[in-house]
Amino acid sequence: MNPRERFHATLHYLPRDRCPIMDFGFWSETLVVWREQGYPEGADPDEFFGMDPQWIGCGGEVGLRPTFEERVIEDRGESEVVRQTDGVIVERGKFLGSIPRHLDHSLKDRDTWERHYQPRLMPDDPNRFPPSAEWRLKVEELTRPDREYPVFLNVGSLYGLPRNWFGLERISELVYDDRKLLEEIVETLADVIVSVIETTCAAGIRPEAANFWEDMCYRSGPLLSPKVFRELLVPQYKRITSVLHRHGVDIVFVDCDGKVDDLTPLWLEAGVNMMFPIEVGTWNADVVEFRRRFGKDLRLMGGVDKRILAGPKEGIAREIERLAPVVEEGGFIPTPDHRVPPDVPLSNYIFYLEEAKRIWGKGLSNIRPTSIPVRSGATLAAGALP
Amino acid sequence: MVDREKLYQAILTGDAKSARALTEEALKESVDPKELLDKTLIPAMDEVGRLFETNEYFVPELLISARAMKSALELIKPLLAEKGAEPAGRVAIGTVKGDLHDIGKNLVAAMLEGGGFEVVDLGVDVSPEAFVTAAKDKGASIIALSALLTTTMPAMKKVVAALEEAGIRERVKVMIGGAPITQRYADEIGADGYSDNASGAVALARSLAAKVPAAA
Repeated sequence: MNPRERFHATLHYLPRDRCPIMDFGFWSETLVVWREQGYPEGADPDEFFGMDPQWIGCGGEVGLRPTFEERVIEDRGESEVVRQTDGVIVERGKFLGSIPRHLDHSLKDRDTWERHYQPRLMPDDPNRFPPSAEWRLKVEELTRPDREYPVFLNVGSLYGLPRNWFGLERISELVYDDRKLLEEIVETLADVIVSVIETTCAAGIRPEAANFWEDMCYRSGPLLSPKVFRELLVPQYKRITSVLHRHGVDIVFVDCDGKVDDLTPLWLEAGVNMMFPIEVGTWNADVVEFRRRFGKDLRLMGGVDKRILAGPKEGIAREIERLAPVVEEGGFIPTPDHRVPPDVPLSNYIFYLEEAKRIWGKGLSNIRPTSIPVRSGATLAAGALP
Repeated sequence: MVDREKLYQAILTGDAKSARALTEEALKESVDPKELLDKTLIPAMDEVGRLFETNEYFVPELLISARAMKSALELIKPLLAEKGAEPAGRVAIGTVKGDLHDIGKNLVAAMLEGGGFEVVDLGVDVSPEAFVTAAKDKGASIIALSALLTTTMPAMKKVVAALEEAGIRERVKVMIGGAPITQRYADEIGADGYSDNASGAVALARSLAAKVPAAA
């Protein structure tokens, strides 16, 4: 089986040789710290760790076009104040910290929406896709019948993006102060998304999955009530997923951190059928419980407690064994529940991967070997060791 | 006579305009501001907290209620200060050194104010020394620490250590919260309490305020 067939079989509960071995990614600081532990500078993590291919996108841009011009407003020594490409003014650390702090927002109300954002969200803007020659080459590659890797179609966000543009406080107030504006914004985003799906699929591309990004929950639950979610977002999700289904894209997942269980039934109702990353660390999520509660209709990706990776190897081995029955059942691709932080020793991460490949991957010979770092900076493939 | 139930409902439903107008009306009628705060406004915010904890209210409802409460407090606070009325307690709140995140901290600060506490917001990336200074100079008897990242949460332990080193740990209570924080971590670093949400933080602050030793 190639990775594309394996991905499809796993998410459709079909017979397969083994589970895909994939990852969420790493904090940028992690790879810096790992360099001192033997990880070669500039190495591609997927190649180095020998994972199945992942996160290969295939569509157009569903966000702002053109984006705002990024510029540094103030240098504060260890941090800097920047207007980002999404118009948000943030303070971000130059050296540490993975999430910037929002200081101000270019989107505040209907006036700023109509002046700065709506004009950047034209559904048929040709700049949503690469220049024609580049796009033609991409289409040629992605439509090859012998393509071996799965591709994902990014279908953006209906809440996460406007939440970033407004800030949590302002968008929360707008739920009551100006619901009509919020509805208009969500509908505009859906118009853009539908247009990008239609253009991508009209080119002959058939992605294995489509992915939303929302990050609209925190450790205690959703940032919006299920009632508001149903009224504001579900109709537009349904509109988008029905277009995806019409084009044969039957795996649609949402990337949403935090405690997602209150919203999961509504996403299922709206045509979404996979959740990612099922954070254990934030609210003790458990894929075993998720499978029991939502059945096989809900596919799962993530669910490995990343905090365990920093601890003793016995704990890592236990975590892999704990998830093995759901891996075996299918409809589940295990990955750490968030990006791997710098407190995880490289040797632990390699131990995790080797165990994952042995248990979830059944130790099959079609798994690429994990490279073993050596101090000189060169690497050896594990399979090449005597 | 101003309708207290209407004021209570204005806070509950986040109607800032009515909350301010009704508070103004009550004060014109010479209602005791402390009594208005204790008998109407704080109970309304307590109900908001209860609805939040039982998943009937979510962040938007919490925020608009806090906004309505703030509009009423703007009128009441100067009068309380004139009368020398003591708040439920003084809390110095901040996100710890190395961490720039403030959404959770701001929610907790708003709910604490709504709960009758005087809140000194130290902002983000706050050094242990700044917390010590707030306890000494601003009279904060509760230090509330927030962290979003696993990599910044160890700074909480440094604040506890700084309070000990300054010789004021006995008279100051430390409460902590944030995405990676657990009760176990609070116990591990010697904090006095932990809450996993903004409403629970108010209840925790009240219980800690009751345990603060009386000033000598």
